[in-house]
Amino acid sequence: MNQPAETADSIIVIDDDETMRRACQAALRRTGYQVETYPDGSSGLARIAEIHPAVLIVDLKMPGMSGMEVIAELKKLNLDTVVVVITGFATVGTAVDAMKAGAYDFIPKPFTAEELRAIIARAMERQRLSAEAKRLRQEKEAQAHSFITFVSHQLQSPLGAVRQYLDVLLHQMGDEAPAQQREWIERSSRKISEMLQIIADWLTLSKVEGGQLATERSPVRWQDLVAKALAGLTNTARRKRVSLHNEVSDNLPPVTGDETALRMLLSNLVSNAIKYNRPDGEVKVQAAAEDQTVSLSVVDTGVGVAPEHQPHVFEEFYRVKDKSTAGTAGTGMGLPICKKIANELGGQITLASEAGRGSTFTVVLPRAPTQKSPPDPPASSASAERGDGPLSDAR
Amino acid sequence: MADKAKILIIDDDEDYLASTRSLLESEGYDVAVATSGHDGLEAARASKPDLIVLDIMMESPVEGYTVVQALKFHDEYGDVAEIPVVMVSSVKEDPSSRFPMAAEVPMIMPDAYMTKPLEIPKFLECVRKMLGA
Repeated sequence: MNQPAETADSIIVIDDDETMRRACQAALRRTGYQVETYPDGSSGLARIAEIHPAVLIVDLKMPGMSGMEVIAELKKLNLDTVVVVITGFATVGTAVDAMKAGAYDFIPKPFTAEELRAIIARAMERQRLSAEAKRLRQEKEAQAHSFITFVSHQLQSPLGAVRQYLDVLLHQMGDEAPAQQREWIERSSRKISEMLQIIADWLTLSKVEGGQLATERSPVRWQDLVAKALAGLTNTARRKRVSLHNEVSDNLPPVTGDETALRMLLSNLVSNAIKYNRPDGEVKVQAAAEDQTVSLSVVDTGVGVAPEHQPHVFEEFYRVKDKSTAGTAGTGMGLPICKKIANELGGQITLASEAGRGSTFTVVLPRAPTQKSPPDPPASSASAERGDGPLSDAR
Repeated sequence: MADKAKILIIDDDEDYLASTRSLLESEGYDVAVATSGHDGLEAARASKPDLIVLDIMMESPVEGYTVVQALKFHDEYGDVAEIPVVMVSSVKEDPSSRFPMAAEVPMIMPDAYMTKPLEIPKFLECVRKMLGA
């Protein structure tokens, strides 16, 4: 999160003791930093959310919201603010707790102005370093993504051309051509298809990592996606003699997410469930809503995943290679992509499985907040602003 | 059977051009090629093919769409507006998601959309359908 330049050197002090607030102001006045003081956690946090200060000085012991509670709330804001806690005389234990909770340093009362300035100088330096590290990391990720995009396109183009030459050759050869020639050309074409799929998946993974895929945050109805996904995979399932069951209630509340990304995630899970299944097996899609989350499960009666493989299935390129999976093709990127999408949307994906019995993949995502106000009647101008008009779907 | 149907392929990639042309000719079609959007438009006007197979990205990422727009709407190309267009691309997404406004703007939507490399049975079926229409 970028700090607006004008508040990069600002400090907020939260302390219920007015004398202490004044003392901090005075001590830090000639440093040139912008210092604001607040008497309690809530007013301080509200201001922190507005100006994203570099440093927060907070007293651990306060009536109402304590210093530790302020630190916990600050964490939720996901800022780069460095925290210095003021502790009572000889209570190092509380300082340690604060640091374990994320504070950078502590200063015990009573302290001199010089001591405060020294600690703040270190805290400011620390903040500058971590903001810089974050910036460099983002830059590196962007570069990695451009590299991957470039390489993928450079590889996809010639591979696509080769595959098409082979396919046209095969088509034109006809059935009278020698069997071995046909077979080898067919195999070559299939290998090329596999390579193309790996490149496409690699690119997808990179897009999710680079924050380019799961970018939207809007209410998404799982029930609609499930119906479409199952419809699209009906033929594939039929070919493998696997039956598909949609057990998702139409009343399921929506989740907050990116529809395109979730469609991809669901498609990956359901096709895996079909692929690793046994003939006459089943795939069931179920869902349940909790207070803050909605979980969706894809249950199959397939080969399952042995305990030793379970921790690894979400790793890139990991493929279980034993007799249970012999004959299945795959790039080893479907599940990592699913995991990245789920995490990016603030959720998670887990596996429960028994080798030989089947697997259940469960995706948990945050519930979409419910509309607080009732929808405006169509005639009012407010509804045009809130996107109730015909172009509201334009993205 | 009447004269062979005429198909015009517009694509700057010589490999795809070669294999697609060979495929269509062995299916009995009369094939002409153009390697740029501009040459393609000229060829369409001159020979009035029964079908156009057009690559989406030639000089620029959306040149194919510009060609479709010209074919269907530009006065200069008035008499080719009815020719069906199959758009071909290595981009695997549905064009209406790439250009959200496109779904509402028929002028730049092709009649069919195929991905490269071609799935041959699907492509040939699509060609037959477009010509039969």
